[in-house]
Amino acid sequence: MTENNKYWRGIEDQSNPELAEKLAQNEFSNEISQADFLGKDELAEGETSRRDFLKFMGFSTAAATLAACEAPIVESIPYVVKPDSLTPGVPNYYASVSYDGFDFASVLVKTREGRPIKIEPNNDAPFNGATNARVQASVLSLYDGARMQSPMVDGVAASWGDAMAAARALKTENSVLVSGSVISPALKKAISKLGLRHVSVDAVSQSARADVYENLTGRRGLPTVSLDKATTVVAVGADLLGDWGGENLMGAYAAARKPGEGMLRHIQVEAGLSLSGSNADARIKAKVSEYETVLAHIYNKVAAATGADKIAAPAVREEIASSVNNAAMELIQAGSGALLLNGLNSATAEKLAAKTNELLASEAFNTTTLEYTSTGSDSAFNALLADVKAGAVDTIITLDSNVLYFSAELAALADKVNLVSIADRADETASKAKVALPLSHYLEAWADAIPVDGVYAVGQPTISPLFDSKSAVEIVNGLAGGSESAIELIKASASTTGNAKAWNALLHDGFASTPVLVANYNVAPSVDLSDIKVGTAVEGIEFYTYTKAGMGAGSNANNPWVYELPDPISRLSWDNYLVMSAADAVALGVENYAQSNGAMNGNTVNITVNGETLENVAVWIQPGQTQGSVGLAVGFGRESVGKVGNGVGVNANALLATTATYASAEIIATEVEHGFASVQLAHTMMGRKIVNEISLPTFLHGNAAEWNETPTFETHKGPLSAFEANLWDDHDHETSHMWNMSIDLNSCTGCGACVVACSLENNVPVVGKDEVRRHRDMHWLRIDRYYSSEMTEAVAEEEGIGAIEKYAKMEVPSESPSVVFQPVMCQHCNHAPCETVCPVGATVHSREGLNHMAYNRCIGTRYCANNCPYKVRRFNWFNYKGNEKFADVNPSQDDYGRMVLNPDVTVRARGVIEKCSLCIQRIQLGKLEAKKDGRILTDGEFTTACAQACGSGAIVFGDVNNPSSEVSHLKQEARAYHLLEEVGTQPSIFYQTKVRNRA
Amino acid sequence: MGHTKHNPTVRALFNDDDVVLGAVKDLRSNGYEVSEVYSPFPIHGLDEAMGLKRTRLSTAAFFYGLTGLFFASWLTYYTMNLDWPQNIGGKPNSMWFLNMPSFVPVMFELTVFFAAHLMCWSYFAVNGLYPGAKAQNPDPRTTDDHFLMEVELEGDEDALNKKLKELGALEISKIEA
Amino acid sequence: MHYESPVRNPLILGDKSYSDITNDIAKPVESKAPRAWWIAFSIAFIMFLWGVGCILYTIGTGIGVWGLNKTVDWAWDITNFVWWVGIGHAGTLISAVLLLFRQKWRMAINRSAEAMTIFSVIQAGLFPLIHMGRIWMAYWVMPIPNQYGSLWVNFNSPLLWDVFAISTYLTVSTVFWYVGLIPDFAMIRDRAINPVQKHIYKLLSFGWGGKAKHWQRFEEVSLVLAGLATPLVLSVHTIVSFDFATSVIPGWHTTIFPPYFVAGAIFSGFAMVQTLLLIVRKIFKMEDYINIEHIEMMNIVIMVTGSIVGVAYITELFIAWYSGVEYEQYAFLNRATGPYFWAYWAMMTCNVFSPQFMWFKKLRTNLIFTFVISIVVNIGMWFERFVIIVTSIHRDYLPSSWSMFSPTFVDIGIYIGTIGFFFVLFLLYARTFPVIAQAELKTILKSSGENFKKHHDEHGAH
Repeated sequence: MTENNKYWRGIEDQSNPELAEKLAQNEFSNEISQADFLGKDELAEGETSRRDFLKFMGFSTAAATLAACEAPIVESIPYVVKPDSLTPGVPNYYASVSYDGFDFASVLVKTREGRPIKIEPNNDAPFNGATNARVQASVLSLYDGARMQSPMVDGVAASWGDAMAAARALKTENSVLVSGSVISPALKKAISKLGLRHVSVDAVSQSARADVYENLTGRRGLPTVSLDKATTVVAVGADLLGDWGGENLMGAYAAARKPGEGMLRHIQVEAGLSLSGSNADARIKAKVSEYETVLAHIYNKVAAATGADKIAAPAVREEIASSVNNAAMELIQAGSGALLLNGLNSATAEKLAAKTNELLASEAFNTTTLEYTSTGSDSAFNALLADVKAGAVDTIITLDSNVLYFSAELAALADKVNLVSIADRADETASKAKVALPLSHYLEAWADAIPVDGVYAVGQPTISPLFDSKSAVEIVNGLAGGSESAIELIKASASTTGNAKAWNALLHDGFASTPVLVANYNVAPSVDLSDIKVGTAVEGIEFYTYTKAGMGAGSNANNPWVYELPDPISRLSWDNYLVMSAADAVALGVENYAQSNGAMNGNTVNITVNGETLENVAVWIQPGQTQGSVGLAVGFGRESVGKVGNGVGVNANALLATTATYASAEIIATEVEHGFASVQLAHTMMGRKIVNEISLPTFLHGNAAEWNETPTFETHKGPLSAFEANLWDDHDHETSHMWNMSIDLNSCTGCGACVVACSLENNVPVVGKDEVRRHRDMHWLRIDRYYSSEMTEAVAEEEGIGAIEKYAKMEVPSESPSVVFQPVMCQHCNHAPCETVCPVGATVHSREGLNHMAYNRCIGTRYCANNCPYKVRRFNWFNYKGNEKFADVNPSQDDYGRMVLNPDVTVRARGVIEKCSLCIQRIQLGKLEAKKDGRILTDGEFTTACAQACGSGAIVFGDVNNPSSEVSHLKQEARAYHLLEEVGTQPSIFYQTKVRNRA
Repeated sequence: MGHTKHNPTVRALFNDDDVVLGAVKDLRSNGYEVSEVYSPFPIHGLDEAMGLKRTRLSTAAFFYGLTGLFFASWLTYYTMNLDWPQNIGGKPNSMWFLNMPSFVPVMFELTVFFAAHLMCWSYFAVNGLYPGAKAQNPDPRTTDDHFLMEVELEGDEDALNKKLKELGALEISKIEA
Repeated sequence: MHYESPVRNPLILGDKSYSDITNDIAKPVESKAPRAWWIAFSIAFIMFLWGVGCILYTIGTGIGVWGLNKTVDWAWDITNFVWWVGIGHAGTLISAVLLLFRQKWRMAINRSAEAMTIFSVIQAGLFPLIHMGRIWMAYWVMPIPNQYGSLWVNFNSPLLWDVFAISTYLTVSTVFWYVGLIPDFAMIRDRAINPVQKHIYKLLSFGWGGKAKHWQRFEEVSLVLAGLATPLVLSVHTIVSFDFATSVIPGWHTTIFPPYFVAGAIFSGFAMVQTLLLIVRKIFKMEDYINIEHIEMMNIVIMVTGSIVGVAYITELFIAWYSGVEYEQYAFLNRATGPYFWAYWAMMTCNVFSPQFMWFKKLRTNLIFTFVISIVVNIGMWFERFVIIVTSIHRDYLPSSWSMFSPTFVDIGIYIGTIGFFFVLFLLYARTFPVIAQAELKTILKSSGENFKKHHDEHGAH
């Protein structure tokens, strides 16, 4: 056996003495290395007997024979000494926390043979026990070859010893530590031990909001909300399903929006169409610069109603004045059920929102329990900028903060200071640093966190570092002269947070409740509105930045999954672009248009914001975009993040001051053409019954047979449903299991977590921008997004418009559309059109109602894909795991990336069709486990990757033959319907009608 | 053909199909045995005139076709319903006749396939036609514009020759058996 | 023997004797190739090579080199397949159906028509093969016992029906053709001076001698084969149409397809025969055998089938409207007014409008005009298949999946390649095979030969 580090990178070279010393504390080191074991004297000296010889002969002959009939042998290294906690083929789960300065999540890490391969939600966790698309994707960032592989001094690889020495040498009393929000007590302690001025600044800043609550409560954090106590929420620029605060509200939102009496009413006031705006019952288009006036207006209405004194504020634009009034009225009616949220990074706006909630005694708005995931301080950062300009700072130590990327100002001053960068890669900051210290990925590192009052969470490593990197707390402590290992530091910190649990229990659960040791806790403070100044709206065009569901603040910017995930709203992947209203686009003379092959192209513009110009920025004409307001997503336009992310899109931060949210902009159209990677060409439902949507009154008082009519066929037996009208007796679907899935279109927020989870679980290939452009995205699960159109069957009816004109107009989305999302995967039809047409029977039906796809049998005629009414079948156009065209984007072509592949799922060959299998590997595993224990499968014992990742619980999977299963109840729901039922395919997937809380 | 008797054969060459046909009728009415006629194209009525039985190839083709039909029925039944019945798009797989409508095209094609091919092979076989076989016609002109008649010589040779001359033969030759 | 009415125009012009026919038909085989042939052949051969290159590129890299996407999974591949199969049909129809109906005018053209059938079915057969993602597994469509045990093909699949239909059609038309060729090969064999040539034709002619009994069997076999080929040819395009008719896609799921496709096949097939014969009779000076009479006959067939196709188009539209199914209605509305309206109207113009000129005798007896129309019709029929396939699937049930298609140079290269391949085969055939069934032709010389008719008209019946 050769000593090969190719796969198991955790076993370092034993000959390295420094590592050997380090390994002494490393819990992942093996007691005996391969070398030692093989070097055992007994083995060397013991002479081989005849019997042994024959044994070896026999074995090798057998081995050779077996090998001969094997597929190509893949190099792999068996365990020499197997860790006793680990059985090959059986996954281990570890509770941990994921925090990257933007997203916080309590997660379960699924590892196979010691490799983390999947992030799953820690459902027991009290705070953010759910995963969004970014957290799901984060596991691939661990296997990113672009990560820093060893400490660097002046761009040259160095040992930790030298690097730390070099860093300490650069550290003076005029040094500053710049980091994002720090929620780890252990890290905080280390930082204070470091004794340097600490400036914490967030890439996506909530600073001004945090300031408000710091002044009120003495704690720098953001309010939490309990949507279950709210009846009406008005969100002004607050994308509560997106980047508003660090609290993951998906689940609470879905629960509060459950159709029925007291369903939460949601009004969104915003400039660009966000997830929240898409899900809202009513949406008011306001510029970002109008948010303050809108809030002031609402406040004044509420003040008038509650007898508080009004404040002076400019009038609201009259186009929206009345709807803003209505919003205010609804809040007043809602009383303590009211909730007004502000998303603008402005103290004024936040105070107005807080005060309004205070006046209405809102039970949903919680200023006592704060969350701390974004507590950066803009003022501190501005002060730092001034000092750097003044030359009062010698060294800046950045801690997991790519500040030179998101702060153009500091980047301009970078050469005035020495940079020491603690970062996971040689990014825009670390690449300029004199000393760069590699930071471990959260799956490799010890960490702890207090994300919210009363919750303490720990993160544990699930694999020993792939590269020569260390955890943040260890590095900072080291810089401060400490020598404790990470685990010691975290243990120490855990013991001081007064959490109830013993260390092992804490590790097992990943979290513990902890007392909040502050005065005036539980005392709701009162907001003071004296000396408040409400800003005026920007004349002309305003520019603002926003975050995408996939990219977020950009910490996964070299992760192909976040690029491949189409934006839920625009359905564009691999890009950021200027979102612009149709009216503005017409004024500028820019367009979006499809090529002859269906690929979308568009014009570009040069945009100038206070002197800074971005050239040839693609423009995407976005229905629902507020006129006079253009937005650009952050996190893109990277220069040194890695082969995947470099050069994708443009850097929006270049235009705005680090602490600014919006500014007025000059835009001129250019000649340059831009190619989009659009996965959806038609944006409306063309008057078809695809997503059922009704209003709450209809749901409450209407007749389900009318608002959810089942299509019937006239037969000699009278009208029959598609399920009854049948040429033959059906196959038996009663005995054994019958797997069905319910997708609640009312709960689905379109966030895309399921799409990423599906890609991870099923090794779905990443194909890159060019192929997505050609409509060859491989996602097994897609989330269709439809806009409403001004033209409907009814309108055509009364205006007497002909079919041709009608359909032409139906293709055009409304300027203020209501938006619906519909996850579509293989519908596992029981009368599957795809099955009958396959000449070789590569796709057939299972007893359990699954539509099987035998990749090995497929010869790739693609007839099934043509004949699929849902168009969910995907064809392997190329050899994605070999073709050099995909070398940069496809993880399976990368030595490290390959390690994320799920060993339970085949990587498909070129020329075969693939599609959703309802995670058959999980079904089989679940059945086997039950069989081993000799028991009946219980409902919810296992579920599909998408259902598991869905934070809002929109997707429910289970066995309808089990009368007690959730899915079998959901099938009886009045809202349940099948997609394209009239085609007669008898799908196993069904949807729940969307209900909007409006008349 | 006709060489079973140990009589010599007289060959007469003609250059018109109608003349040959007439000649055949005449000779046979005079009791001569016309053993063969080589012609560049089929002459209608010649087979009756020579008293040839009608061929049974078409009957054979019918049974070949039936074989194909039965084979197809068996194949579809065995593969789809017996050996490994699968649920394909919810179609019935228990009874062949329920599933049969899907098989009609294949059954038809195989019927035609068997009938056509087996018949042609039989045709080549009974005619002794195969690649590289030596030309069966004694005189190459008979594939162009001449017609060669073979008559069994019984009794008076001159009388026959005279008769043939009268009937319009251009050349007359005699082959000893 | 029977004499034909003087009203009928002679089918063989000029003062011909049996040996004249022999000489005329053997001439192309025995003489040196004319310059025109060499030019035509080299062009065809270059096109063929280009096609081979594109096919190899596809097989080496993946179907991704074509313009297809997740929504439009078939486009030029199957369009070309159906187009070539359709062209093939005329050959069989001419020789089989017209033989059953005792149409003597077929004799001049059936040989070339059958050749065309076989060569175009070869092109057609190419596409279902190369459109597979894993062509190296193509043999899996055959129900052959295998190492996996009970692993069989799916007899429910129209694609599998195609496998049986196309292979039966190809092989049966080949034997049909060859049975007829044998006496003519024998004729060339018996004339050949060059020993090599003589040997080759000796091999090809199977030793045919023209015995009376053999002629009797020959006629029987021809008749039965014709009887078998007639339903076969109808079944083949019917089954090809099942690929679409049995699907669930609006615009494909149409019960009118079988007759509609068959009519279209005859339509395009006759047009192709027209194109080829007009060239052949010029290059090989066969005006006496392939004369205005034949051309006009075929133009009439083209006109009739063209009109049938037109009726089919209109019926489709009517049914779409009458069905009241919104998806159907949109599918057809989209064809006529959607992004691919140009393809639809090109189809309408070429297939329905242009053949109507054939009502005028002046036009249908005009060679140049006939030639032009025959080309136009084939273009139109290509568009018909493109319209059916692409405009139906590019916008089907869920708008979220709607897409577009545009061909890459590989799509185009392969199509051009098959055209080259077809002409390579046809030109080789024209140089080495008796392009007219001379044995059959001789049987009608006396009844339909110009000189005999004249002589008979002058002297009355004997």
